[in-house]
Amino acid sequence: MQDAITTLINSSDMQGRYLDNSGVDKLRSYFQSGEMRARAAIAISANASPLVTQAVAKALMYTDITAPGGNMYTCRRYAACIRDMDYFLRYATYAMLAGDTSILDERILNGLRETYNSLGVPVGATIRAVQAMKEVTTDLIGADAGREMSVYFDYICAGLS
Amino acid sequence: MSLVTELILSADSEARYPAPKEIRIFQDFVRTGDQRIRIAGILAENEQRIVDNASAKFWERCPVTPSNSGNPRKTASCQRDQGWYVRLVAYSILAGSEKPLAEIGTVGIKEMYNSLEIPLRNLVEAMRCVKDEAVSLLSPEDAVEVAPYFDYIIRALS
Repeated sequence: MQDAITTLINSSDMQGRYLDNSGVDKLRSYFQSGEMRARAAIAISANASPLVTQAVAKALMYTDITAPGGNMYTCRRYAACIRDMDYFLRYATYAMLAGDTSILDERILNGLRETYNSLGVPVGATIRAVQAMKEVTTDLIGADAGREMSVYFDYICAGLS
Repeated sequence: MSLVTELILSADSEARYPAPKEIRIFQDFVRTGDQRIRIAGILAENEQRIVDNASAKFWERCPVTPSNSGNPRKTASCQRDQGWYVRLVAYSILAGSEKPLAEIGTVGIKEMYNSLEIPLRNLVEAMRCVKDEAVSLLSPEDAVEVAPYFDYIIRALS
């Protein structure tokens, strides 16, 4: 995986250069947003399980998907769904701390759409649930940190669709 | 790899959120961001001066060495490499980790210089001179951040 710092270092190293002014500016803004990132990660990790519960309640629970014939019907499928939502939240939090999306590709998205298609998991409903998780997470951590987390939730959705 | 990536990968290997101690380390790291940027800037601006002064000192201490043999290509390669190590130290300061230095410049360092027939003992002396020059440009507070990375290079060569 990469982060906001290593991407800048790697591209500078390819040219044998020090960071240029725009790289330094990016780095400075990453460092300045570090405290916000740390606080958001603390809040999310303390509330990971209720966030998933709320997101599922908001997007999935009262739809046909949990009724007989739906894709979350049977406890086993329901459990698989909230396990995946848990993963999405944790990896989005990692990516937010890193300020970089690469860990989402490496650990979540590569091959996920194909896996879901072969298992018959509805991608549209998954995206709605991730969007709901974005909303309940933003409610928890506030607008600024929420905007940053949204980048990574949206990245997951884009990778699924 | 940076300190940030290291702690994320460590949390991920146990499928958990970063622990309080890891978050504390992250917070301390980002809080020192301005200092890190300042140090990297000083090293970048003064690379040439560091290398020139360090070479002069090095040749005083080790007069019989390829870079002082009168062959301008050898002199230029030696000084170019010294400059590269200053740059890699600057990267590592920004990353809060010796990993960039190790990944780019110290894994395989002995084998490479041995194969180039550069005497390692002289190279250690050269690196000590580069360290002394770099540290002499910095405040005591900044110097303690930088010195360990040069020591890391010297250790890799020893």
